[in-house]
Amino acid sequence: MRILALIALIAALASPALPARAQEAAPASPDPRIKFKDGERYLRDLAESLEIPREEICLELSRYDCADKAFRIVLGGVDPYDIRIMQPLDQASLASPIAFDRVALQVCSGRVARDRADPAASILFKRAAGRPDAAWRDALADRLYDRILRRSPDAGERQRMAGFLEGLEARSDRSAKAQADQTILACFALASSAEAAFY
Amino acid sequence: MTHRASTPNASRRSVLAGMAAGLAAPGAALAATRRRGDGPEPRFLIVLGGSGGCSIIDSFMAVRESESPNGKILNAWPDSLVQSPGGGPFRAIDFSSKTIGAIPAPFTANQSDFVKRHGQDMMVVTYTGTSVNHGVAEHRSVTGNAAWRGRTLQEATALTYGAGRPIANVHLINGTAFTDRGTDDSLPSSAYGERVPAPNLWPLSLDGYRGVKGAPDRKLFDAARDFRDGMLDPESDFVQTFAASDRLKRWFELRGAPLRDIEGADLITQLMVHPDSEDMPLKAHGLKSSPLAKKVREAFPAYGFDPIESQAALAFLLIRCGVASTVTLGPENSAVFNKGAALGRGGLSAGDMRNTPIAFDFSHQAHREVQSLMWSRVLSVADRLITLLKSEELAGGKSYWDHSLLYVATEFGRSRNRPEGAMTFGSGHDLNNGALIVSPLANGGRVLGGVDPETLMTYGFDPLSGRPEPGRNMTEAEVFSGIIQALGIETPGANLPDMRVMRRKA
Repeated sequence: MRILALIALIAALASPALPARAQEAAPASPDPRIKFKDGERYLRDLAESLEIPREEICLELSRYDCADKAFRIVLGGVDPYDIRIMQPLDQASLASPIAFDRVALQVCSGRVARDRADPAASILFKRAAGRPDAAWRDALADRLYDRILRRSPDAGERQRMAGFLEGLEARSDRSAKAQADQTILACFALASSAEAAFY
Repeated sequence: MTHRASTPNASRRSVLAGMAAGLAAPGAALAATRRRGDGPEPRFLIVLGGSGGCSIIDSFMAVRESESPNGKILNAWPDSLVQSPGGGPFRAIDFSSKTIGAIPAPFTANQSDFVKRHGQDMMVVTYTGTSVNHGVAEHRSVTGNAAWRGRTLQEATALTYGAGRPIANVHLINGTAFTDRGTDDSLPSSAYGERVPAPNLWPLSLDGYRGVKGAPDRKLFDAARDFRDGMLDPESDFVQTFAASDRLKRWFELRGAPLRDIEGADLITQLMVHPDSEDMPLKAHGLKSSPLAKKVREAFPAYGFDPIESQAALAFLLIRCGVASTVTLGPENSAVFNKGAALGRGGLSAGDMRNTPIAFDFSHQAHREVQSLMWSRVLSVADRLITLLKSEELAGGKSYWDHSLLYVATEFGRSRNRPEGAMTFGSGHDLNNGALIVSPLANGGRVLGGVDPETLMTYGFDPLSGRPEPGRNMTEAEVFSGIIQALGIETPGANLPDMRVMRRKA
């Protein structure tokens, strides 16, 4: 029996990745309580994981800190002293997901710009030697999940992200900028996902 | 001069597209839609919340000392300071002082100019509230003490007139209960207020892409959003685990049509009051000001540092650009000074204190000075906002103002007694007061109710004829109902009292 089980395991590992949607759905929580990761907490986490100084990670109009000044209340903060908002918004405002997207896009664009400026110390964007291949895409997916969600992707997630990157590549040229843009957009999708916004 | 709106089409998509192009008057398109029977004629509610008690007997129902047998020990004003502009029913106090209580802050306040300019649209309504607690009274001033299942005036307006507007109910003032959500949970989420914490920067939160340096092409960005919304999120263990969370459901709902409507209307441009400058480097980020920004800045030149001016500037654009059907603004609870104002060498210069600490409630320290300064401030903002709305045509020769109602909501009145003959004294809270409503939709040019000269307490009126009725006190619910009815809001099953005398049309 042990030999049969071992053969089955080796066969499973050797087979192509499972189709993206063939995995079992995660069990639903009987008590689905989650919290919004407010702007300050979100940016602190990303500043640490993407190795960008907190005070530089997101500046609206290159001047106003996204979480502290520009979108403080919209992103779930409070401001008791200046405008007497003592509690975070009960519910996300209409502007909240838009501002969240904006912040995620700024963070990702900023990280990739730094990577392009100093490839030796790059965190997310590593230019492919030739045309981006499956290994490049998988490696990028692994880096993104590791840096943004602090975990590894499962096979389905890696495959879906690779498919998205392939789709982007088909819509752009093979320049370094196109690869950088793919990195920004994949980073954005993950950094603005529900898993990144809530905990 | 009235500027004519130019867009004849009417679909929601074309309205939003027109707004994005910066060419259209979306309100005109909406008005056209409604004239064709698709909805009611547009109406706009402006709530100007005066925290701390805007006292009606220190403004439009002021009593002269000579008119009251107790004038020296009650808050009757010296005869020379009480104006009757234009010979109409409204009184006004024009008052200057070198100090505000112990604060050396000279100022000149004026109420009569507002009466002269807007008396035909002014309606003063007496009432007696039910709480002298700030927050409770503020909220009751907009719910009529839960007159209609607890919904606020703003929510009722957004519900009736907000269709097709991306952000129907906008709350520009913070830290007050004028903008607390009502207790009627049956309304669609679009009727509840959207909070604007910082009017000058808020437009930036209305586009997830524009102005972000180094961002990839917009179409690719949209593709990334589609990937996230259609595949990454739905397939994630996190979302599958917490799919039933109300927070998550609302998040996903907002990322759909509301997001597309807001970004599609290019509100990051339409609502941008600031010009390109060192403080707001718009051009360097591919952004620009609203086409109406210059006009708005001229009306509210202190928009950059005075919170109520930045609120009023944005309030106008929200109405004019077809974004909102109701806006709520008001003076700050903190002191506001002119730029560069400094204490020393004898105190502040004339007019340097624009807003007293805790707004009207600083009447505890210096009743008459605070009431005069703060009324003057509120009326000045109202006047400029009305003037802007009058200058823009909505449709059919009617201006935006012709479709608007401005309600100066407040919490309560102030106590009437004073040390004999004193000009400077403090006051407490009192349930008895009155409210100012300004609108072509209201039964303007009238004071409804009166003041008892012996006590300086206001009394009520007959809701149908308007005949004064000494001994009767009007309720918060009656004021609420009158406003709702003047706005033409249908109220099936609400059992609100008929306040015929408060509306211009039957």
